[in-house]
Order: sequence, then structure tokens, then C-alpha cells
Amino acid sequence: MNASAQPLIRLNGIKKVFYTDEVETHALAGIHLEIQQGEYVAIAGPSGCGKSTLLAILGLLDTASEGTYTLNGNEVANLSLSERARVRNREIGFIFQSFNLIGDLTVFENVELPLIYRGMKAAERRERANAALERVGMAHRAKHLPSQLSGGQQQRVAVARAVGGQPSILLADEPTGNLDSKNGEAVMDLLRELHRGGATICMVTHDPRYAAHADRGIHLFDGRVVEENVGTVV
Amino acid sequence: MGVLGQDIRYALRSFRRAPGFTFVALITLALGIGGTTAIFSIVDGVVLRPLPYPQPERIHRLVRVNARSTDGSFSAADYLDVKRDTKAFVSIAALREDIIDLTGRGEPQRVPGAQTTGGFFDVFMAPPIAGRVYREATDQPGAAVAVISERLWRQQFGREAGAIGTKVRINGTPTEIIGVMPATFRHPVVADVWTLSPLEVPVSPVPTDDGLSSRDVQYFMAVGRLDETAAIGAAREQLKSVGARLAREFPDTNRDRTFDAQPLAESLVADVRGALWILLGAVGFVLLIACANVAGLLMARGAARRRELAVRTAIGADRGRLMQQLMTESLVLAGAGGGLGLLAGAWILQGLMALAPDNIPRLNEVSLDWRVAAFTLAATMAVGVLFGLAPAMQASQPELNTDLKDGGRSGTTRTGARSVMVVAQVALALVLLIGAGLMITSLARLQAVDPGFRTTELVSVELLLPQARYSEPLQRQFYAGALERLRANPVTARSALIFPFPLGGSNARADFEVEGQPERPSSEDAHAELNMVSDGYFATAGLRLIDGRDFTVADGPDAPPVVIVNDAARGAFGGRSPIGARVNLGTWVTVVGVVSDARRQSLDTPPQPAVYLPYTQFVMPYMGVLVQTGQGAGATALVVRAAVADLDPELPIGEVKTIEQLISESTGQPRFRSFLLAAFAALALLLAAVGVYGLISFSVAQRVPELGVRLALGASPWQVFRLVIGRGVQLAVAGVIIGLAVAAAAARLVGGLLFNTSTTDPVIYACVSLLLLTIAALACYVPARRAMRVDPMTALRSE
Amino acid sequence: MIKLSSIEKSYRHGLSQTFVLRRVNAEIRQGDFVSIMGPSGAGKSTLLHILGMHDSAWTGEYWLFDDPIHQLSAKDRMRVQKQHVGFVFQSYHLLDNLTVYENIDLPLSYRDVKKSEREGMVADILDRFNIVGKKDLFPNQLSGGQQQLVAIARAVVAKPSLILADEPTGNLHTDQGKEIMELFRRLNEGGTTIVQVTHSQANAAYGKRVINLKDGWIVDEN
Repeated sequence: MNASAQPLIRLNGIKKVFYTDEVETHALAGIHLEIQQGEYVAIAGPSGCGKSTLLAILGLLDTASEGTYTLNGNEVANLSLSERARVRNREIGFIFQSFNLIGDLTVFENVELPLIYRGMKAAERRERANAALERVGMAHRAKHLPSQLSGGQQQRVAVARAVGGQPSILLADEPTGNLDSKNGEAVMDLLRELHRGGATICMVTHDPRYAAHADRGIHLFDGRVVEENVGTVV
Repeated sequence: MGVLGQDIRYALRSFRRAPGFTFVALITLALGIGGTTAIFSIVDGVVLRPLPYPQPERIHRLVRVNARSTDGSFSAADYLDVKRDTKAFVSIAALREDIIDLTGRGEPQRVPGAQTTGGFFDVFMAPPIAGRVYREATDQPGAAVAVISERLWRQQFGREAGAIGTKVRINGTPTEIIGVMPATFRHPVVADVWTLSPLEVPVSPVPTDDGLSSRDVQYFMAVGRLDETAAIGAAREQLKSVGARLAREFPDTNRDRTFDAQPLAESLVADVRGALWILLGAVGFVLLIACANVAGLLMARGAARRRELAVRTAIGADRGRLMQQLMTESLVLAGAGGGLGLLAGAWILQGLMALAPDNIPRLNEVSLDWRVAAFTLAATMAVGVLFGLAPAMQASQPELNTDLKDGGRSGTTRTGARSVMVVAQVALALVLLIGAGLMITSLARLQAVDPGFRTTELVSVELLLPQARYSEPLQRQFYAGALERLRANPVTARSALIFPFPLGGSNARADFEVEGQPERPSSEDAHAELNMVSDGYFATAGLRLIDGRDFTVADGPDAPPVVIVNDAARGAFGGRSPIGARVNLGTWVTVVGVVSDARRQSLDTPPQPAVYLPYTQFVMPYMGVLVQTGQGAGATALVVRAAVADLDPELPIGEVKTIEQLISESTGQPRFRSFLLAAFAALALLLAAVGVYGLISFSVAQRVPELGVRLALGASPWQVFRLVIGRGVQLAVAGVIIGLAVAAAAARLVGGLLFNTSTTDPVIYACVSLLLLTIAALACYVPARRAMRVDPMTALRSE
Repeated sequence: MIKLSSIEKSYRHGLSQTFVLRRVNAEIRQGDFVSIMGPSGAGKSTLLHILGMHDSAWTGEYWLFDDPIHQLSAKDRMRVQKQHVGFVFQSYHLLDNLTVYENIDLPLSYRDVKKSEREGMVADILDRFNIVGKKDLFPNQLSGGQQQLVAIARAVVAKPSLILADEPTGNLHTDQGKEIMELFRRLNEGGTTIVQVTHSQANAAYGKRVINLKDGWIVDEN
């Protein structure tokens, strides 16, 4: 829809400051970042470097203290609460470290949920949710509750939930953090497959092996980008 | 001790730092303990408290029974036979209510009194607070002695000991005051003066020809004290056998009738027993709701504290220590709630007494009932301790790891048990609300009944005459003079005389037989309500003359006796016009007019056949004046007092009441019932709302991570708001459905207390359900607002 | 001091069984400073909680000094834990309603130490950790680093011989993290045995040796 010259995401001078008591913590100290349509970016760095904060700002879960954020050509740094909810719902798919499936809803209902929030008709929702579950190989567990699944299976459902709404970008926060290496690999393979299918992905991880899956690695340290390395572009 | 002090300090601090929880818990305890205590104190004080006499269970009221009804009034001959032939009672006495004119000391006074036989105080055995009381063994019938009430002692004698032995004039007779009874002595009737009858029975208010041998005029009640050694069964057998003998010997008057005894306390609450059980049930309901609230709150707190308890365990607290700490917290909370509850109880009681209809008997004696307070406190405390300790029991080793990890917020939110409790609360509250709704509707319909007479701008003044000084001609003369003077004054220009006042509680009736009509079978009571009126009464009271004429001055004592009948009496004339027909009311009288119907007994009794006699021909010394005036009771009373003083300076006027007062007093019972049940229902509604609020805010707090995920997935704040409200309404709907079913079944219990109101009135059920659902939705508003503001960032925080 | 043999732990998901720890054998000597490392989900925290006796659903043998933990009742484990172990959590887990002083005092009160003695011990720790000025503050009035300092003070006040730390710097900024690790080094030099779970090579460098876990197995030890 947009000219390819324009990046999907452009962050300019993003700062985030937390205040506790007399202490002022600079979680992000001036981030410049562009993500192109179809790119696969990994954000790495040690605990406390600000990568989760950056991801929260990218996902419109949090607002920056300073700086501008352009998503898909629209300035989104200063939207109202409900406008942000709308943008999150349509443009962004989240994958969390602890899966964050809703325990009282079935697998199918979890995947369907963002589509309900979008106000989509039931028939279309069913079609899309089933397609998404099919894609992650979890269609056969549609009626199960999350507690009946292993961690790896839960994360695949979470991926289905993230892609079901066909968002502009997938944001993944340590998606393998709560998984053993076998299940972790499987989820990473799934992400790579989605990427091949055209999805834009931005992933936070502190595991260098997984960071290597991405086109581009961004290294954060104490709230700054200290290193960018471009891998092979697919 | 140091540990305990520390635990208490920590408990207080943790309550200060969890103001939401503390607020809800304290409100629940305060309302639950305070509200039930206050309302139950009223029930208890008004109807339940045992009679304040030695061995009160031995005091009985004697009654006459037939297959259909129980009646508490006796004729002289029946009473004397019963007294002579039943040996199971140590003493039996008779009494009737009396109006006493007290003169010879300052202003003439008219006070309620009781004329009793000599054994009256032997039955009650209540000691006087000054002087002595008369006894059957020591005082002869007719002795000119009187016992007065503490109120009168204070008012007339300033509580001076010298009052004993003083001579006053009672109904014109010089009488010596021999003793003072305490304010608690108020059974079976409230009186300020007790006098000794000159006969073996109270003197009849209307002269009778046959005196002590009469069996067909019942006009007084009888009480008896059971012998220490006698069983009530034996006493009832004796009464029954006397009854059977009299029925054989005097079939004209005593056929199918016998005698029985009821415990006095029971006979006093007989009228309100049904209502009483309903109110006790309501107390139970409210208490259940309060306990459910406390339990739910503590369960919630326990769940929210799993992380804290896990940390404490991890740093070395054993289970005993945790239990001790939680126990301390529960007790501190229960203590604070209990104190607050008693305070709230005192306030609520004051408020209720200020709001209560003012004609409830014994209301001024009501005080906070400590037994009830202690019971409700103990109940809530037991619940508090039980549910307060539950989390300590759960804080055992295997779960510690997960509790530390997820801080007590696991994937699924377990509020099942609490949901059940909230549903139950809503259901209970709905049942109470429907009960109150039915009662209030019934009351409104009762008060909307057209009684057939004017309901505004009427003032009634009693003008009783002491028979000792007023013969029949003098009575006629006095009333005529009073009426003449009143009509001359513009304030009271529209005045008329009447006995008895409408809704005034009198039940004077006469046999009613129309000349030329076939005699009705004896099973059908051929009675008519008996009224004595002056000319102009119908116009003053607002009754319409349908046919014939009103009375005139020409209908004097020597003119042919005449009568006016009401519309409802027309049936007895077999379709012919009543005008000119002759009717036997003991004597033969001629019908000269027909007037519209009016309710006399009570608003819920349809108009009965009634006859109106001219006072000039059939006078009673109990007449009163009814004035149609816009000047109010005070101004009217002044004019009436002046007119009476002009005729007889020794004569006080009786009670002055507006028609509004008469109507409201006649509906006192249903109003009291509705009032109490409404109070309970309001309390239940409030507690249920607190319960819904508590559960929903807890589940919002528990579900913060989930709500964060939903927001991260793009739920708009409004969608989250609706989710939370929806959850609350869902619980409320479940409660309402169960409540409706229970109410439909339970409402039959109140059916007998309702007037023109179906126990399954769909409008009431719908309105009350809607009210409850609205309140439940409102209770969810605050937590729903909080849910809207959940930070979606929480979705990212994995620990 | 610690001897683990064949420690195993698994979860059931319906029909499948997931192993969190497989045949873990290890020995830790008094005065050691061990870092448990490995990728997420390798079972590091689980192992630490088993050592800390917060978790009892496992099989195998665990000796702490002369106590066979695997044979003890919950009550006896509690006693052993009280006597020997101090625990430090990634998210501090201070009690919000208690002041710094009261938080540190709490383990002593649970060990029935006399009040007069407790006052001296808490004062000592406050001095040593240089947090006397903060003793009347509540946890939410402190920065993360300060909270972790207090949490460590609470862990060591009862003079445990073993400190277990679960990603103690995980929620902290680099400088604050360094401060905490320096503190652990000093404690270790004072004779306390320390076992920590960490992701960070830098933190592991403060320790004397590393146990590497992967998918529940010990993959190498050095």
C-alpha cells in the first residue's frame, strides 16, 4: 500500500525515563530505528538493557517520553487510548514469552479473540481462526484449554492468535524463553516460515543462536543501540 | 506477647495499606451486625420480649371458642361459672378497659384505665414501686381504692411518696390512691389507673337488665394464673368440661361453645405471629448474606496473599506462625467490625425508630439487644476466623515454587466458590426485595382504598360522659348543647355527632331483622353495624343520601323511632325499597333513609350492612364530635374544649384526631411489617451490592495480566469495561433467576398478609429484578473503570 | 556440603510427560560459589528451588550436610531450611507492608531469636550493607537495586551457610547488578556458600565454577 521507499516502522529519538523515588532511570536513551516491510529483526542485549521497553513502545503498549514513531506512514506516538487499541488490534500481532493464552478460553476462542475485538462477523472469524490454527499445526486441538497443552503447543497457539488478524508486524518477546530447546527450535522454525511467507517480524531475545535466525540484529546496552549487524537478506 | 503485639501492629498496618479490602470488610461487618441487631431489636422489643412478671408462662388469657373462631370476651355468668369451677388456676380475674376522668387535682384529666376484679394483681404478681396493690383476699369489691401508673405518678404528683393515701375523684367518686405500678406493667391493656369493680365482674358499660346472670352480653376479658402444681393440660380439660356443662344447660346462648386458655404472651403476639416468622426469616437471610460476604472477602484476600505467604514460608515461617498471624488479623478485623457494628446498630436503631410509624406499641421501650449483637458478632467472627485461616492451610510446601514464580496469579482465575456465594447473596436479596415489594404494594393499595367517607379536613373529638353523673336525658341534653355551641362557631360550623368513629376500632353491632322477610338460617349472622349519629353527620362525613331523608330535630325521644340504613343493607329487604319498612334491632324502628356505604372496621374489610340511629332516640355516653374544617386539630380542639367547659367545667375532652390519623392508625400493622421488611430488604440489597462489588473488584485484580493481554491484543477499553460489567450482570442474572424461583415459592407465606395483591404479581417481580440488576451493574462500575485503565504492559511482564 | 544424585522432575500434560530435570548429579563443597547456567527452560530455577526446599515433587537423593532431604518430612525440611538456607529472588519478594527494618527482622522472629539479640543482629546487617538510613522506608520507596540489597540482607541476617540466588540481577540495571555481584563475592569470601542462577557470563565470572544445564541435563561442569 505504501511506497517501498517508506519503512514500515520509523523510530526517531525515542527516549523512555522512569522515575522511582529520587532515582531517574533512562531505560531508553535515544533510539533511532527503521524496519522495512518484510524484514526479520532481532533485538538482543543483556537483562535490563531496555529491549522489553523498546518492544512495548513498538507495540503501542507504552508511550515514549520523547521522540516520534511512524507506523505504516501514520504518526502513532500521541494517539488516544482507544485509537491505540485499534492500531494494536489491526497492525500488530504479539507473541509473549509466557504465551499469555487466556486460561478460561479454548484454543479456538483464544485465536478468535482479536478478531472479535475487531468487530468481525462470526463466519469470517471462524474461517480465519481455523486457517491460522491450520498454519501452526494446532487445528486438531481447537477445543482444548491451554492448560491441556504443553508449553511448545501453547506458544504455537499464541503464534496463531498473533497472525490470525493478518497484522503488519509480529512482535515477539523472548518467544522461546519458557521453552526447552526442542520446542524453542520448533517455534523459531515457525517464525522463519512465516517470515518467508512475507511477514514482518521483530523479536526480542538474549539468545545469540536465535538472534542469528533474523535478517538483522540490533544490540542494545543500557538503553542505546550499540551494534547493528546485517545478516543474509532472504 | 511481643510477637502478638507485633502481629497486631502488622495487621493494623496491612489493613491501612489495603483500604479497599478494609473498607468493604468493615462496611459488611458494620451493616451485617449493626443492621440485623437494630432491626431484630425492634422485633424483639415490640413483640418477642417475655412478659416482665414472675413465672410469666403461668399467666393465661381465658377465651371462648367455637368451631370457627376464638373470642376473648366473657359474659358475667359464664365468667363466674368458670372462676368457680376451674381449680387449676390459683387466681382468675376479669377486667375491662375504661376511660377514667381524674378530677379534684388541678385540670380535669382523662386517662386510659382498667376496671378489674380483686384478683387482678394476684394473677400478675408484679410488685408496686410504691405503696401496695389491692388483693382478692384483703380488698372488698367496690372499695374506693386505685393503683396508678408511674407515668401518672410522675405527671400528677412529681413522684412524691405523699401521693400514696391521697384522695382524688375518679369518674366523680372520691377514691384513695394506694400504690404505683412500674412503667413495665402494661398487660393485658395499657392503663394509667386500675380501679376495683364494685361487683364480682367489671361493671357493664351499657346498663343490662339481668346483671350477673347475663350470658349473652360479652364485654370483658379474663386472665388467670396457673397453679404451680397444675399442668396446662389439666386446666384446659377443666375449662372444657365447664364449657360442655354450660352448653347443655344453656343451649340458647352457649350451644357449640366452650372455653380454653392461651398463654398471655402468645395471645399478645397472635395477630403478628405470621409477620414475625417472616421477619425472623429476613434476619437470617441478611445474616447469611453478611457471612457470605465476609467469607468471600477473606478467600479473595487469601488468594491474593499467596505470594506473601510463600515468601514468609521461604524465609522460615512455619505453618503455626502463619496461622497465628492470620488468626490475629481475622480477630483484629472482626473486633473492629464488631465495634463498628454496634455503633452502626445504635445509629440504625435510632434512624429506624425515627422513621417508624408512630403508632407501634412498645416502640419507645426498644433498646439495642445485646444478645442479638453478640450472636451476629459471633457468627461473623466464626466465619472470619474460618476463612481467614484457609490460606494458611493452603500455604504448604509443594505449591510454594509456583506461588513464588507467578505471585499468586495463575492462568485461570479461580473464583468458583465466591461466584456461588455471590449468586446466593443476590438470590436471597431478591427474595427479601420481592417480599418487601409485595408488602409495600399491598400497603399502597390498602391506603388507596376509597373508605366511603371524606379522608381530609375532618377532625374527631371524643366526648365521653361519666355515667355516674349523666343519666340518659342529661346525656342527650349535653350532646345537644355541645352541638349547638359548636355549630355557632365558624371554625366548627360543620359539626356532627357520631358513635363510633370510623376506623376507630369499635365493633358495636346489632341483630338485624326486616319485617316481612323470611328469617335467615341461624348459621348466617344477621348483624348490622350499629351507629348513633346526629343530623348532619352524613353531609359532614361525606356520605351520600341515596334515598329518603336525613334525621331532623323532629326525631326526638318521644317521636316514633327511626333508622337510616346503608346501601349494603338493602339486600335484606328482598328487593323492595327500604323506605318505610320496619326493622327489629331489639326494638322496632322505621327506615327513613338510605345512605352510601362506608368502611368502618378497617380499610381491608368491605362495607358491611349498617344502621344509623339518631342519638336523640338512642343515646350512648361515648359519642364524639366530627368536624369538617380546614383549621386543623389544634384550633378545633380549642373550640370544642371551650364549648364543653361552658356546659360542664369538670369534664375533660377526649382524644383529638384528624381523619388522616385515624386512617393511618388503622393501617399500623401492615405499615410496620412493610417498614421492617423494607428495611431488611434495603440492607440485603446493600450487602449484596457490596458482595458483587467485592467479587468483581477481586476478579479484576486477579485478572490484571489477562486484561493486559486482552488490551495488548487490541481490545478497546470499552470492550474491557463491558466484559467486567457483563461478568457482574451474569452473576446477578443467575442470582435473580434462582431468587425468582425461591420467591415464587416463599411468597405464599406472606399471602395472608397481603391486600388485593397477588403473591406472584409479575409487575413487582419484574421491577424488583430490574432494580437488583441495575444495582449489580452499578456495583461493577468502579472495578470496571479500573479494568479499563489496566496497563497493557503487564502482558509483557512474565514474572 | 551438598550432594545430589539422580534428581529428576517431570510434569504431565494429559498423556505426555515433560522432564524438567533428568538424572542430575552434583556436589557442592562448603565455601563454593556456583553459577547454574543454560538457556531458558533448561531447568535452572527448578533445580535452585529444589535445593531451597521450596519444591518437593521430585525424585532422587539430596543430602545437605548430614541430612537426607529426600527422606525428611515437610516439617523437618522446614527446620533444615531455616537452619542453613537464605534465598534471594529475581523480583526481590520483599513484603510490601513491612519496613526495611521489619523485613530484615522477620527471619529472626521466625527463628525465635530473642528480641534484644535480634536488634543487635539487624543493626549489624544494616551497617554492613550501608542501609541504616533506609531502615524505616517501605520497599516501594526504594529503587530496584536497593530492594535487592535489602533482600540479600534479609537472606543473610540469620547467618545461613548457603545462599541460593535466582537471577539476582535479572531486574536490575548493569551498575546496580555489579554492586550486587560484588556483595556476593564479599559474602563468599566471608565463608558463605553461594549458588546462583544466571544468564550472564559477566555474573558467572564472579563465581568459582559453572554448572551448565540444557533441557534438564547437566551438559558440562567446570
